[in-house]
Amino acid sequence: MILRLLLAICATLLHAALMFGAAPLLIGVIAKLRARLLGRPGPPVTQPYRDLHKLIRKTPLIPDTATQLYQIWPFAAFTATATAALLVPSFTFGMATAPLSDFITFIGLFAIARGATMLAGLETGFGFGGAGAGRDALFSIFSEASLLVLVLAFVLIGHHPTIDGIGTTFRDGHIGISVSLGFALAAILAVALTETGRIPVDNPAGHLELAMVHEAMLLEYSGRYLALFHYTAMLRLITWFSLVGTIFCPFFMGDSASPLSWPFGLLFWLGKLMAGMVALALFEVSTAKMRVFRVPEYLGVTMLLGILSGVFLFVAERLGG
Amino acid sequence: MTNTLTLPIGLPGQGMHLACDPLSALFLCILAPQMLATMIGPDKKSPTFWVFGLGMILIVIAADAFTLILGFELMSAASWLLVLQGDRRPATLYAGIAIFAGACLIPALFLPAGGIAFGLLLLGAGAKAGLAPLHAWLPRAHPAPSAGVSALMSGGMVKTALYVIIRYGFVVMGGQIQPWWGGALIIAGAASVLIGALRAMLETELKTILACSTVEHVGLIAVGLGIALRARTLGDANLATLALQGALLCAIAHGLFKPLLFIGAGAVKHGTGTTSLDWLGGLIRGMPKLGTLMLAGCAGMAALPLGPGFAPEFLLLHAVIASAGTGDIIARIGFTALLGILGLSAALALAAAVRMIGIGFLGRPRTLRAAAAEEADRATLIGMGILAALCVPVALAPGILLLLLQPVIAMLVPGARPLPLGYQPVPLLILASIVTAAAFLGLRKFGARGEREVPAWNGGFGKPPAWLPFGNPATQASATGFAEPVQRAIGFAILGPKTIDPGEVFILDPLRRVNIFFTRAAERIRRATIRQRLAFVFAALVMFLLALGLTQGQ
Repeated sequence: MILRLLLAICATLLHAALMFGAAPLLIGVIAKLRARLLGRPGPPVTQPYRDLHKLIRKTPLIPDTATQLYQIWPFAAFTATATAALLVPSFTFGMATAPLSDFITFIGLFAIARGATMLAGLETGFGFGGAGAGRDALFSIFSEASLLVLVLAFVLIGHHPTIDGIGTTFRDGHIGISVSLGFALAAILAVALTETGRIPVDNPAGHLELAMVHEAMLLEYSGRYLALFHYTAMLRLITWFSLVGTIFCPFFMGDSASPLSWPFGLLFWLGKLMAGMVALALFEVSTAKMRVFRVPEYLGVTMLLGILSGVFLFVAERLGG
Repeated sequence: MTNTLTLPIGLPGQGMHLACDPLSALFLCILAPQMLATMIGPDKKSPTFWVFGLGMILIVIAADAFTLILGFELMSAASWLLVLQGDRRPATLYAGIAIFAGACLIPALFLPAGGIAFGLLLLGAGAKAGLAPLHAWLPRAHPAPSAGVSALMSGGMVKTALYVIIRYGFVVMGGQIQPWWGGALIIAGAASVLIGALRAMLETELKTILACSTVEHVGLIAVGLGIALRARTLGDANLATLALQGALLCAIAHGLFKPLLFIGAGAVKHGTGTTSLDWLGGLIRGMPKLGTLMLAGCAGMAALPLGPGFAPEFLLLHAVIASAGTGDIIARIGFTALLGILGLSAALALAAAVRMIGIGFLGRPRTLRAAAAEEADRATLIGMGILAALCVPVALAPGILLLLLQPVIAMLVPGARPLPLGYQPVPLLILASIVTAAAFLGLRKFGARGEREVPAWNGGFGKPPAWLPFGNPATQASATGFAEPVQRAIGFAILGPKTIDPGEVFILDPLRRVNIFFTRAAERIRRATIRQRLAFVFAALVMFLLALGLTQGQ
């Protein structure tokens, strides 16, 4: 019993180290892949680490219109995202945080991070931040609704409310390929692109304030606070990669109780991340960013896909007896 | 536990019966903190105020229908007077709704248990609670009186109306529950949740936003009660327990953070002379304590994890997911759509809370009075502080609270067993503290020390001129501007091009037209000449004699 607990804690610590350590690398690899696909050499994959290091060493410039809470928001956004990152299984199931990893808690933690970022945008009272926050509010409404509808399908198929339990059921049970999960995959990928602020919803590499969403809220932040916000965005990306991988591709993932299964799980996780990065880079170079008011339509379709996934599940259960 | 106390006053020969069973005790516990906070507050307490409070308590501890109706009408009449003191226009509407609620409720309580009685109960108590489609009065009437009374109306009065639904729907009529009762409650609740959350996002008046959010939370509680009623008829005690846990916990949490926010809105009004977000901004500089307390209340309103509002939301969402797991296919699809609506509303509630804090308390002041706002007085802060302190156990120990709620649930659902709560805030808080500490210490160790204050970058625009000390107020997002994307994407679709509440368009406006029609008819009769009146009397006489003659002739 104690051994199991110790192993679970070890797995959690390893998971935390990998998630927190590899988050900037992911951004670097994607940037490199995108540049290569566009025929440019691109920055080295370690560039995000250097950027973070540079930002941390700079003195933050606090706008004179900022309030006392200016410093709170980056920490709030980071804390919520980092807690969510600790809940999502990466290479193994049965981590010490597994009982906490209820899907709705997970959505709530991302809601905290989003709220803190929106407040950071409104903090100094300048136009771009407010506009970005308003747009983010709009996107969040649809993405949260789609995500909850998807949770319904996952929980009903997986018979478990936690991400860990859903993944375990999907790995061990013979779920097979169902239409329902196909719709769910399409929908969750679209939600993931929205939540992580990638093309076609938002362009993290954009430089025009008018077109920004996520970056617009951080315009008045600098130094270590900006580094914290950037790092939060990186963590969010790796968390979403791991989440989609855990739910839709849980095969070969290890169990915390048997350490021998960890190396294979680790390799497999790296493979999944790599595949995800390649897919994302390919998708991003072949798509253009949408107009802001096209996004609700796109997310409306996502929500519809989520509901269809539930409907197909009910129909399948009815037919199956 | 259920000793009945009989008072010699009341109906002749019967008296008034008072009793305090677990359900009454729960609602007394919900009412007590907000009453305490309001009493501490600076508002003047008129006799009407005390009658209002007494009415609410009487409803909750009534053991017979007469006492309950007496309490209900005392509460309605007193709150009408209090609304009238604040603003005359909504008071008339409010009186109409109160009379309608009473007119539905009195027959409902004395009719034999059954479909008609429950329908009337739902109309009467639902109108009082602000359940769609009879909710349109609430965002108008609740902001009208002074802050303390608004707080009690939103936090307490709607709860007592819901108490009446629970008392009669689950306990008194418990033997004759019909399957459609739960469905009706769920549909009314879902409509309230969606409209309340959307309007909370679009309104600009602080107290109106809070009142719209009350509509949303009443809807959430109604959804929980509806699922519990439905599950009880289907014989699923576990699901009924889960849904009731969510509904009752939501009532407790809402009874703490909503009065807190209303009292805070009153302090903002006192400090700046307005509650319109478009005239505020940067209040947290002058009112740091009030701003922090409001932030805590908003975390509850937005149902964020580690806040008081999350555990109820969590339980309700799981109850909806569990209801979608079984049953016939139409109901399951309906529950899937309900989950979508709840998700939409949860994100809207977060955006509305962010908007309240971000536009009102952060940013630059939009007026000189907002810039010169001073901290609220101590009495207000103490009252709000009590409510905020009581939010802490709700936020961090919902599991213990659910154990305490078990007697109530066992009373409402026969055969209910305690269910463990899947959401554990304390380990989550520990994890969050560890990562925050790590980030803080890491930045301290490796990062640069110190900060420098500079003019905001603002996309490269220059410093504002000296005669605009806070810059041009028009260059920051207003409350309307912040909500504009949402307004364009879904506001128009649900509220129509003029963004008027459907409750007004489909219920109040037709009523208004009927009223005008009858007023005109009455006016025409009043204006009739003496000849027309004589002719009318003569015609009536002839008709009467004719009718008499015809019946006699047979």
